[in-house]
Amino acid sequence: MKRGAACWVGLVLVCSRGATHLSAAQPSVPVPPAQANYMLNCMGCHIVDGSGAPGKVPSLRDTIVPFAVSPAGRRYLVQVPGASQSSLSDQALAQLLGWMVRNLSARSVPPEFVDFTAAEVAGYRRYPLINVRETRARLLALAAADRAGQ
Amino acid sequence: MHNPIDGLMERLARDMARRVSRRRFIGGLCALLFGGGAVPLLPVARGESAPPARPGSAADPGDPRSCEYWRHCAIDGFLCSCCGGSAHSCPPGTEASAVTWLGTCHNPADGRDYIVSYNDCCGKSECGRCLCNRNEDDKPLYVPSRSNDYNWCAGSQVGIAYHCSTARIIGLAK
Repeated sequence: MKRGAACWVGLVLVCSRGATHLSAAQPSVPVPPAQANYMLNCMGCHIVDGSGAPGKVPSLRDTIVPFAVSPAGRRYLVQVPGASQSSLSDQALAQLLGWMVRNLSARSVPPEFVDFTAAEVAGYRRYPLINVRETRARLLALAAADRAGQ
Repeated sequence: MHNPIDGLMERLARDMARRVSRRRFIGGLCALLFGGGAVPLLPVARGESAPPARPGSAADPGDPRSCEYWRHCAIDGFLCSCCGGSAHSCPPGTEASAVTWLGTCHNPADGRDYIVSYNDCCGKSECGRCLCNRNEDDKPLYVPSRSNDYNWCAGSQVGIAYHCSTARIIGLAK
């Protein structure tokens, strides 16, 4: 009898798994501007928590903090095409990057992290980044070597 | 490759075939089909369909099966509401792509702009019903971050076959 009940539970589970459900709640509180900019300019590919799509869109959850605490890494975060070529103003991009560091990183944000400013973004943004993948790999290797040396 | 779920289901099915008579099985199945329909099975589903998110209500006016529905302002594709799904769920047999196209749409009921995520449903060939191509604020392909002419199913785990598009509210812009 007990086994029979288990079968029914199994059937119910199979039957109830019809459609893939996405959340449908209608929010009543506006999201902060930096988060709204993330949603509209980045989230399409980087998805809601920044983890991306394996093999297609790199995760930024483990890398954004190491980038954000070195000058070369900060330059990369501003110059990466999705950031530098977005339609956001320098000020909005600076706020968006700060929001991403504080909200999407899987690593804790160290106290030495300073927010981006519009002037800093403007200084990096006008110069295109040519070898995105190579630059990213090189900076990550540098950051790893830094951590190992500490 | 041996699938553990296949194995489990086979064990359960064989076990049931041994223990349950045919009449009891049919009786039980009918009770499940007709009785189960009366009760929403998962509390999650009930929570999600709670007002005011229900399309057609005062807060969310319009018909999700029509291209003119306010959430469809920047959509490009077949409406999942016409394909066995809804504005926020994929039809059975398809899977939502996590990688997606987003925009804001103006809700005429409260005059506010909502952030809408047009998650594509992937894994089956094109639905073919209710093509809707409004593309408001869509940019050409050479502005890649603001162009919706991509097959977002390329980012899904079930392959690039595109079936239909949802229009899910994920935030209030202002």
